[in-house]
Amino acid sequence: MTESKTLNKNGQLSAYPPCPVNDAIARLEGEIAGGALSHPRSRRIAEEIRDLVNDVAWGRAGNDHLPAIEELAGKLAADPELDAARQLGKQVKNNLAEHREVFESHVETRNCATGACTRLAPAPCQTACPAGIDVPTYVTLIGMGRHAEAIDIIRKDNPFPWVCGLVCTRPCEFMCVRGRIDTSISIKAMKAYAAERAFSEGTYTNPPQAEPNGRKVCIVGAGPGGITCAYYLALKGYEVTVIEALPTAGGMMLTGIPRYRLPREVIDREVAMMEDLGVQFRFGTFFGKDVTLEELKEKEGFEAFFIAIGAQRCWNLDIPGEKEFANIKAIHFLRDMALGIRRRPGRRVLIVGGGNVAIDAARSCIRLGCESVTIAYRRSRDEMPADVEEVEQAEEEGVHFEFLTIPVAILGENGKITGFHCQHAELVAREGSSRLSPVPIEGSDFIMDCDQVITAIGQRVDDEVFPELKRTRRNTIEVNTVSMDTDIPGVFSAGDAVIGPATVVEAIGGGKRAAEGIDRWFNHIPQPKMPPVPVRRRRLECIEVPAATKMTLKRPEMPHLAPERRKTTFQQVELGLDEHAVHDEARRCLRCDICLRCGKCIEVCRDKMDIDALKLGYFDFDHPVKTDFRKIADRCIGCGACAMNCPNHAMTITDRDGERILSLCGTILNRQPLVHCRECGAIMGPRKYLDFVQKRVQRVGSDIRITRDTCDNCLRKKSAVSGAEITTSPKIEG
Amino acid sequence: MTTTFRRGQHVEVFQKSSDESWEPYMDHFIGLHGIIVDPDTSINDPSALVEVSLEGKGTHRLPQDSLRALE
Repeated sequence: MTESKTLNKNGQLSAYPPCPVNDAIARLEGEIAGGALSHPRSRRIAEEIRDLVNDVAWGRAGNDHLPAIEELAGKLAADPELDAARQLGKQVKNNLAEHREVFESHVETRNCATGACTRLAPAPCQTACPAGIDVPTYVTLIGMGRHAEAIDIIRKDNPFPWVCGLVCTRPCEFMCVRGRIDTSISIKAMKAYAAERAFSEGTYTNPPQAEPNGRKVCIVGAGPGGITCAYYLALKGYEVTVIEALPTAGGMMLTGIPRYRLPREVIDREVAMMEDLGVQFRFGTFFGKDVTLEELKEKEGFEAFFIAIGAQRCWNLDIPGEKEFANIKAIHFLRDMALGIRRRPGRRVLIVGGGNVAIDAARSCIRLGCESVTIAYRRSRDEMPADVEEVEQAEEEGVHFEFLTIPVAILGENGKITGFHCQHAELVAREGSSRLSPVPIEGSDFIMDCDQVITAIGQRVDDEVFPELKRTRRNTIEVNTVSMDTDIPGVFSAGDAVIGPATVVEAIGGGKRAAEGIDRWFNHIPQPKMPPVPVRRRRLECIEVPAATKMTLKRPEMPHLAPERRKTTFQQVELGLDEHAVHDEARRCLRCDICLRCGKCIEVCRDKMDIDALKLGYFDFDHPVKTDFRKIADRCIGCGACAMNCPNHAMTITDRDGERILSLCGTILNRQPLVHCRECGAIMGPRKYLDFVQKRVQRVGSDIRITRDTCDNCLRKKSAVSGAEITTSPKIEG
Repeated sequence: MTTTFRRGQHVEVFQKSSDESWEPYMDHFIGLHGIIVDPDTSINDPSALVEVSLEGKGTHRLPQDSLRALE
């Protein structure tokens, strides 16, 4: 294939050879966005073809994808009403017929030989997000003060920007490339800031909705997974009803996360947006008891079901005294508190467990006025699965920790708890296991003084709900984790019910995948074979930042409510970042959606130009080397070879206001004054560059000498007129 | 010798798991490096699935016997 200049998906000129798969996507998207497909049916078919070709581009396609594309393109080509649809259908068919082996290669090798599909790769933060949010785009929009647009971008992939801005486990920040230089971008806090601003400005809106398609879907469970699925199905025109056993929506977001981390109003505001889309909620309705699958199918006409029942059951300690004395399950304690029962559970409370639920229960006890709150955990602090920040905040509020402590028995008298019998533990290697396990130390028994015990040792899925569904050995619902379909046709599932007690953002990602799976199931189009690759929503211009500023800006500290105040109220602990901090944080972003860290710039600078100015040590995932953008200017000559060879236009070189400016995704790496031709005024380049050229030329032969203040054109003209030998002109001063 | 996986720990998907939660598409993850995002949050069960962000391949729940720590 010959190399040619082509326009890629982002409308940029590219030096890479065209890819027919990528071209097909661009053409389909252009037609869909252009409005030529005015009939909903033809637009719908075009969208289905685009989704399938996207699967091909991203290596998610199976053997049935290409026949399905052919069939749909045939339908489009035979459209009885629209010439544009017929044309598009024929183009897709011809493209597939002509380049079938390229399409097949994408399916079989999950690779684009031209690199064209790869160049649309999302940034690591976006790839890491279980919901696939286009992080660099919304971070940049927030930095520009365009909060409403930022929220629109987030809500394309996640209907809960505010909730996730407060409680997300932030996989994006773990994968943030900036973290390889110093600290990751404060993505979570920025999202919360934008959501709050958009709500307060009244610009938090729903995206446009498709026309109703007359199909009914029933969702069981109004938690993050269920509501997310409802949101995407409602946007696609489905009539969605959510059945919920509790009297309110939110699921574990509401009943599992205390108000001081996630205020109820935040959930209510975002859930209300779903109601605006026509999603109906039936609260206080227990699936399987108040209403059955058969009734919903036969009497109410629901065709598909999404089961998002969470993991509501708790594990027991299985120790003496547990049944005799009224101890509490942490998850029930948190749920009751969320629903309005805020009684102090005891004066001296002991909490068993080391996860976030244990920490939430302990911090809630402090707020309810318990005199002493202790967490007993059987391993050491290093192994605690709870968030480090949560543990630190709990300690600030007065929670005590007892590590390497194994429960033996709950002690009591007259039905009341009087103490907790424990043993000290040590971590030892067990045969056949690569992990250290806590083992009780003989004779180390001790009694901890308490009058209430709260257990937080994990949750499991309720196996009494929908027992017909096939379960895994972990008793979770068995699904295909790509399309989220169960062993019963038309029944899908996601969230904690599928993966066990997990995170809000995973439930959101599962709900979104299920909505796509349900839509494909209704339309008889093949399900993907690989998990989705996130969609880049836009390619925004970069915010210009000098290298010195880029390096000196630091991740902002989240301001917290004073510990003394936290002990007495359920007021939100994280107070949020201010506008200035958020804008500065956007300037720290490296825009990895544009710079793909392919390393071509480094190679050209080091190996071809022999300059080695680009010490970008953060490109390596496993072994990043210290990077300081400020040092690049020391060696850079402003030749532009890096920019010329950058496949994604991340590195740019521009001549502006008498200077040559080299920047990487908006970070100004070097700026040098330009030298102009003294004859015609043409730009000759920075002095360092001219020196470099002269040095190189001198290596070729001692007879060749170039001038340093006159351009080649003027020199040629001069020599043509006089026939004189070219000589070095006087050295430029300064 | 390790205890449990920790948040932020660098790991490698070094082998296929015989666990039922291992799906065919996960074969393509073998050899990839990633970061533990959410360990077995509640019961430190060696059979629990842990959430791992894999470089360039997204975030997934994987069985622990397919992972090894890199540090």
